[in-house]
Amino acid sequence: MANNHLTSESKQLATWYFTFAAILFGAQLLFGLVAAIQYVMPGFLYGILDFSIARILHINALVVWMVFAMFGAVYWLLPDETGIETIGIKIGKLLFWIFAAAIVVVVLVYLFIQVGPADETTIWFITEGREYIEAPRWADWGIVVVALGFVANLFLTGIKGRQTGIVTVLMADMIAFAGLYLAGMFFTDNISIDQYWWWWVIHLWVEATWEVYVGAIAAYGLITMIGAHRKVVEMWLWIEVAMLFGSGILGLGHHYFWIGTPEYWWEIGALFSALEPLPLVAMFIHVLYDWGKTQGAEMANEHTDEDNVKSVINNKPAFTWFVLNAFGNFLGAGIWGFFHTLPQVNLYTHGTQFTSAHGHLAFFGAYATILIGMMYIAVQGTNGIKVMKHTKASIWAVSMITGGVVGMTVALTIAGYVQVLVSRAQMGATWAAYFDGQSGLWFTQAMDWRLVMGVVTFTGFIFLAKDLLTTGKNPVHER
Amino acid sequence: MIDPSVIRPEIAVNDFLPIFVSSALVLVFGGVYVGIYTAVKVKLLKPWAMVVAYSFWALTAYCLYLMGSLIHVGDFTAKALVVAAIGLFLLPFAVYYMQHQVHEENEH
Repeated sequence: MANNHLTSESKQLATWYFTFAAILFGAQLLFGLVAAIQYVMPGFLYGILDFSIARILHINALVVWMVFAMFGAVYWLLPDETGIETIGIKIGKLLFWIFAAAIVVVVLVYLFIQVGPADETTIWFITEGREYIEAPRWADWGIVVVALGFVANLFLTGIKGRQTGIVTVLMADMIAFAGLYLAGMFFTDNISIDQYWWWWVIHLWVEATWEVYVGAIAAYGLITMIGAHRKVVEMWLWIEVAMLFGSGILGLGHHYFWIGTPEYWWEIGALFSALEPLPLVAMFIHVLYDWGKTQGAEMANEHTDEDNVKSVINNKPAFTWFVLNAFGNFLGAGIWGFFHTLPQVNLYTHGTQFTSAHGHLAFFGAYATILIGMMYIAVQGTNGIKVMKHTKASIWAVSMITGGVVGMTVALTIAGYVQVLVSRAQMGATWAAYFDGQSGLWFTQAMDWRLVMGVVTFTGFIFLAKDLLTTGKNPVHER
Repeated sequence: MIDPSVIRPEIAVNDFLPIFVSSALVLVFGGVYVGIYTAVKVKLLKPWAMVVAYSFWALTAYCLYLMGSLIHVGDFTAKALVVAAIGLFLLPFAVYYMQHQVHEENEH
């Protein structure tokens, strides 16, 4: 990954993180496809790869590739923001290899061991069994060490270098990000208490610390790509932090409806979770307004020949993914979240494919998009490109991945609707009701379409991987 | 005391589709309201379009009312939904005010 255009070791380390993240992204989609095929053809890979393992790999690879890409994005922007090389970069590189090796070992154990005895050895060496964070306990501690090393690098660099609003927000956010992981590491005999703390990791990651992280990355991206005014963007970032934590922390309540927690969480959670996507949409409206009114006008004045008007966007593929982030966040987290978040409705929708539909579109819209955008920013910087343009592969990638995920979301929503009507409302959530809902024509056809759209998404990923690997040398860009 | 409507909301089977559509439209119409309001304030749209913006807020409030009626919310949730509707109405005012102040401070 070494390249003459890279200005710091921190950026080189970032490209390592992005590369490994992209590989895990591919693995996530591949095992998602396996699980989707097993839904349609339950005998697929029977005795070789169980559905439960394919699902573990699908959802854990999702979380881990995003964490890798998030670390990579921070290592990428630190030298730009602080004006100095990242402190402790050697340790950062060592931790990268430890992290990557640990993930490989965990995946191999999932694939080749799969199931263990119902005792501590399984928890320590195979899986802890907590959805999304199913890594065995030895890997848990490894992740804590890596995360602490990363946070130390970020803090030492942030304190010594220029302290921009973006870095300050990231410093505060990443300490919360690392600290919250501890809430998912201890064991209790009470499933309600276990779930109570487990949600601290899952919810407070994705709907508080990750959203704030996205705000900081969006701010950096907009300054980098369209030259947005730093003071304006950073002021908005602080407002967003207040809004995101205000809505995100209390939004925790929408996971506490049916697990034995006090009922006051229900109303609080429903209201605040609906407000979560609004700050990011507000930021994009604001910055795009800036771009259109000020810089757009300036550029128009400089280039009177309408056929030759230059865009102020210096990285079109990245900008496309960033814009998708604003809309995807609003759709996936906002709309698909709100319509099944009130407890009266959630009584029927809880645990159906509605949740899966929401999860697919929200993770994609809120996080995958902006992290892919950061990968394009890294490709631009790595190859010394002044203005990066779309290629055919990048257009196919963005179209097929977005179309595929939206298609999967619609299919899963239809499947969830069937479950709500048949399995819950008509038949009262009984054992027989579950199977009646699963075997209905609308449900099975929806799962067929989910698989088709999964193939579309995976094909789009192949275009994305090809583009990320080759676009740097493409002569279409301005250098 | 647990809200009885949460324990047993008694939603009619035929009401589920309107519930999901109306609750989705709450955010769709709400987003359009906020968008048009902002566009008018920054002079991207003519002032008369503000009437359209407020119309979308009215649709948002109606969708909230429809959703709340169909899921038979209790007293507390009904009041909370009214607060949410008012909050959504005030949101673009607050956002624009902050936006304007930030621009003023930075000579935009």
